[in-house]
Amino acid sequence: MQSLFKCAVAFTSFKVEYVFTDKTGTLTENNMEFIECCVDGNVYIPHAICNGQILSAASSIDMIDSSPGGYRREYEDLFFRALCLCHTVQVKEEETVDGIKRGIHQGRPTSFYISSSPDEVALVEGMKRLGYTYLRLKDNYMEILNKDDEIERFELLHVLNFDSVRRRMSVIVKSISGEYLMFCKGADSSIFPRVVSGKVEQVKTHVEQNAVEGLRTLCVAYRRLSESEYQEACHYLTEAKLALQDREQRLAQAYDVIERDFVLLGATAVEDRLQEKAADTIESLHKAGIKVWVLTGDKMETATATCYASKLFRRSTQILELTKKRTKEQSLHDVLFELSRTVLRQRSISGLSVDCLDFGLIIDGATLSAVLKPSQEVSGHGNYREIFLEICRNCSAVLCCRMAPLQKAQIVKLIKSSKEHPITLAVGDGANDVSMILEAHVGIGIMGKEGRQAARNSDYAIPKFKHLKKMLLVHGHYYYIRIAELVQYFFYKNVCFIFPQFLYQFFCGFSQQPLYDTAYLTLYNISFTSLPILLYSLVEQHVTIDTLKREPSLYRDIAKNSLLRWPVFLYWTCLGVFDAVIFFFGAYFLFDNTTFTSNGQLMTTNTQMMFGNWTFGTLIFTVLVFTVTLKLALDTRHWTWINHFVIWGSLLFYVIFSLLWGGIIWPFLNYQRMYYVFMQMLSSGPAWLSIILLITVSLLPDVIKKVLCRAICPTATERAQISQKLLPGSVAEVTPLSFRRSYKGRSTDSTLLHLGAAETLSLRSCSPLPQKLLAHLAEGGGSDLTSLSPYMLRLSGAGVAYYAPGPETPV
Amino acid sequence: MMASSYNAKEEDGHHSGSSTHGGTGAAKNKKPDNTAFKQQRLPAWQPILTAGTVLPAFFVIGLMFIPIGIGLYVTSNNIKEYEIDYTGIEPNSPCYDCANNFTWNSTTSCVCTVNFTLVQPFESNVYMYYGLSNFYQNHRRYVKSRDDSQLNGVQSSLLNPSKECEPYRTNPETKQPIAPCGAIANSLFNDTLELYYNHPDGNTSKVNLVKKGIAWYTDKNVKFRNPGNEKDNLTERFKSTAKPVNWMKPVYELDPLDPENNGFINEDFIVWMRTAALPTFRKLYRIIQKKPDSTPTLPSGRYFLKITYNYPVRSFDGRKRMILSTISWMGGKNPFLGIAYITVGSICFFLGVVLLIIHHKYDTRTNSADIPN
Repeated sequence: MQSLFKCAVAFTSFKVEYVFTDKTGTLTENNMEFIECCVDGNVYIPHAICNGQILSAASSIDMIDSSPGGYRREYEDLFFRALCLCHTVQVKEEETVDGIKRGIHQGRPTSFYISSSPDEVALVEGMKRLGYTYLRLKDNYMEILNKDDEIERFELLHVLNFDSVRRRMSVIVKSISGEYLMFCKGADSSIFPRVVSGKVEQVKTHVEQNAVEGLRTLCVAYRRLSESEYQEACHYLTEAKLALQDREQRLAQAYDVIERDFVLLGATAVEDRLQEKAADTIESLHKAGIKVWVLTGDKMETATATCYASKLFRRSTQILELTKKRTKEQSLHDVLFELSRTVLRQRSISGLSVDCLDFGLIIDGATLSAVLKPSQEVSGHGNYREIFLEICRNCSAVLCCRMAPLQKAQIVKLIKSSKEHPITLAVGDGANDVSMILEAHVGIGIMGKEGRQAARNSDYAIPKFKHLKKMLLVHGHYYYIRIAELVQYFFYKNVCFIFPQFLYQFFCGFSQQPLYDTAYLTLYNISFTSLPILLYSLVEQHVTIDTLKREPSLYRDIAKNSLLRWPVFLYWTCLGVFDAVIFFFGAYFLFDNTTFTSNGQLMTTNTQMMFGNWTFGTLIFTVLVFTVTLKLALDTRHWTWINHFVIWGSLLFYVIFSLLWGGIIWPFLNYQRMYYVFMQMLSSGPAWLSIILLITVSLLPDVIKKVLCRAICPTATERAQISQKLLPGSVAEVTPLSFRRSYKGRSTDSTLLHLGAAETLSLRSCSPLPQKLLAHLAEGGGSDLTSLSPYMLRLSGAGVAYYAPGPETPV
Repeated sequence: MMASSYNAKEEDGHHSGSSTHGGTGAAKNKKPDNTAFKQQRLPAWQPILTAGTVLPAFFVIGLMFIPIGIGLYVTSNNIKEYEIDYTGIEPNSPCYDCANNFTWNSTTSCVCTVNFTLVQPFESNVYMYYGLSNFYQNHRRYVKSRDDSQLNGVQSSLLNPSKECEPYRTNPETKQPIAPCGAIANSLFNDTLELYYNHPDGNTSKVNLVKKGIAWYTDKNVKFRNPGNEKDNLTERFKSTAKPVNWMKPVYELDPLDPENNGFINEDFIVWMRTAALPTFRKLYRIIQKKPDSTPTLPSGRYFLKITYNYPVRSFDGRKRMILSTISWMGGKNPFLGIAYITVGSICFFLGVVLLIIHHKYDTRTNSADIPN
């Protein structure tokens, strides 16, 4: 039921104003790659970068760059062992994955790691490349193959599972030598407070640096347990696990007690690559006037870096922070007011040109819950929510980090219920996004690696984030104009239909005498005027797909529901009333005194015609059907053969039907009022002349309005239509077969080049250099774009002449 | 792996179908076919309504409509029409007595004569109409108060008329079915109009009025049929039916002299049965055929109209008129169509000029505005 309603909303108003997107798996590939690790301040980088799931052939080779040379060798070993042991990865020895038999590499069976978290897989695989291979869990013993090809066995005693509150996990193992070790890995914020020794400062700076680069960081720590400590921990855990009441709470308490006094080992950095064209998509959405919010559970630095890489924030964006770090220093109240002052001042200064400076807001989960918390204390603080909304309204991009799944939904709800009631769209890939997808008006699921929950709960499911662009900017736009036309055309044609009937009552003594014959009354909406509008709402493309994709700003033309607002609706209604008045009074004056006769010599020689009320109605109805259909023909921009068939076919059908309906004495009818009425009408010259006249007059105002509006104040869409027309080899004219080729030609012709276009370009050109650039762009995102400019120069020198870095080109 | 399979697929949703990106078989089946229609890739013609493209149309419409309008207007003005109101409302009007003394039961008809002068002669065929005002022949209950199958000569309907005819379905006294039943037939216009010409030499001659050929051919020959056997006497065929309440004589005596114009196929009756669209209407009554020689059909001079006054209209404030009119290829006298054509043509022409100016003024601007895109 709810989804039905949502579908209706999604269809009737596809003008989305807010897009809420998840980060991991949505903006990014969710395809983790182990990039580097830092052990006690030393950085290790594995060479071969490979995907998370498939092992490259060059695995298990020692890849450590800068071997510490015995220096604190112990830490290193511990670190790698920690990463090999502290996880919930399962090993799949069987080679059939996705139905493809994978071969045996290097004489031994290749194994696959499977885990609920792609990070863990990436880490374990990274370790494998660094020489420590996790082999299997056998009889509660974890086996790892160390650098020297020796198998080490650890008894797995306890797993302290990961949860999103603690943001860490631990394992307790017993080594062969009988040592009890507890390894812990988790988010830096949850590890550092529990660390007692280790090079905390060094690791911390390294973690920060990695986070700024957009890498996902994890810290690793360990603790040696004595026998008694272990027994104690065991006791806590068993007790908590066996508790009948509040088990979760007690487990959390137990974990809290056990996981302390760690020794910091180091940190890892895993990269989650941006999805292809994610930046292009976000940029397009921005240009389309859609506000993009990224809601993520990641830490702020990582998320911010991703946001920069995906061009959610640009260099010119002024970042407003509303984070715990800041609210620690000032009270939430002050921070909020300060931010809103900044935003409002900027707006009052810049006045109309809001675009010149845009704001980006970063808020974290903790602060958000503080903002949204209904204040019991002082009433004055109760309007945090309002201030927050005010700030958000003025920000083109908002990043919410450290969000719990429910908070995502909360945010969506907050925006949805704000006083403008904007249409919201949420896009996500994982189970944690389901609440937000359900909450938003339009929920979109990405069929990613994290299962199908999101796709199942969504209104629309797409495979990649980049498809959002086409979906919103092209199909959303199309649906919107189609629906708008459909709805208003229906009102229009029924006003045209019924208003003459209403006017007729003034001339028939208010006796409810029908103006039209019953067959016409019945078939008007069913057959005579139904198919053209149905087809219009299926295939109309007022601008081509390419133009819409190339110019996202066209989406602004349908901003704020512009095609379904009162003025437009009134225009349609007035046009309907005008046409109806023309139909009726045109016929009225022609029939006045029933001078409207003919000697009938056009067809039959001995007939003097006196036209009765049914001829009167039929004349009006004929004009009506033609006018209404031709009006749609005027609105149609995309004439496929089906359009031609349906529009002209409808008119032809009307004529044929009328001839047939009036041509026979129908035996099953108890009246023969239409007998020969249509034919007699057509045999009269004045009837023809008046039909032509009335149709012309009825269509005239709409044509004039269209032409004048287009000439005097054309909308962006209309300008795009013209320029599209001016372009040689318009795509619309080509057959589907040659479509691809012409598309290619156009993209090189295009003077507009964003990053996306640059990618296309470089893919098309054969030189290897641009592909390297592409790889660079895709990998590094915004982080190392300083190295980009030489490439760009060389690229433009490489024969692709149209490359011109616009203002949006990242620097 | 995912990424690479995507590159191969291109972004436009041209899924090649063979691409296997981990989708299950069920998911693949839901994929819309790669047809031009479903992928919205039908080739299309994309016209734009701009000032430039519409301009010629406006000029063409203007240039076509104005001559047509002038033609229509001139034709309409050449039509001669003469109209007399003979209702008899004013005390000095000739039919005042007849109108006032009207009783439903009178057996003798009241006759009155109206004198008039035609200033100009009427050439060609002249059509004589009677006109009624404030007569709602288009009232819903009136319009449906008829039985088409009875009028089509169906025997069962003749003896058992449709319920729509109530209360003019059966005679209240004799309980016989009324033929023709219903309110329309019951209210048949039954004034008789005769036209006399006062020759300049003092003689009077009756103008020959043709009463055939005034109804639609299809009505006369297909839709309206007398019941019963063709060979029988019409009186016999309408046996056991009653005349409509307000009629003076039964249906088979509408035109006793001409069996082809009697009964249901009486043309005056057929014309009346075609209900008018508006409360003020005129109906064709007679045709005055043009003379074989070149003398005008109705020469100018003095005429008088002899009216057998049977039709009461004072009860509903109606008026009765007699109209004489010539006719042209575009019908009777109606300047509206001509004026409308001239007006619309002029407006189109004027708009064409305005658009031409706008086109020149704004065309450069819109073009230059395109360049940033």
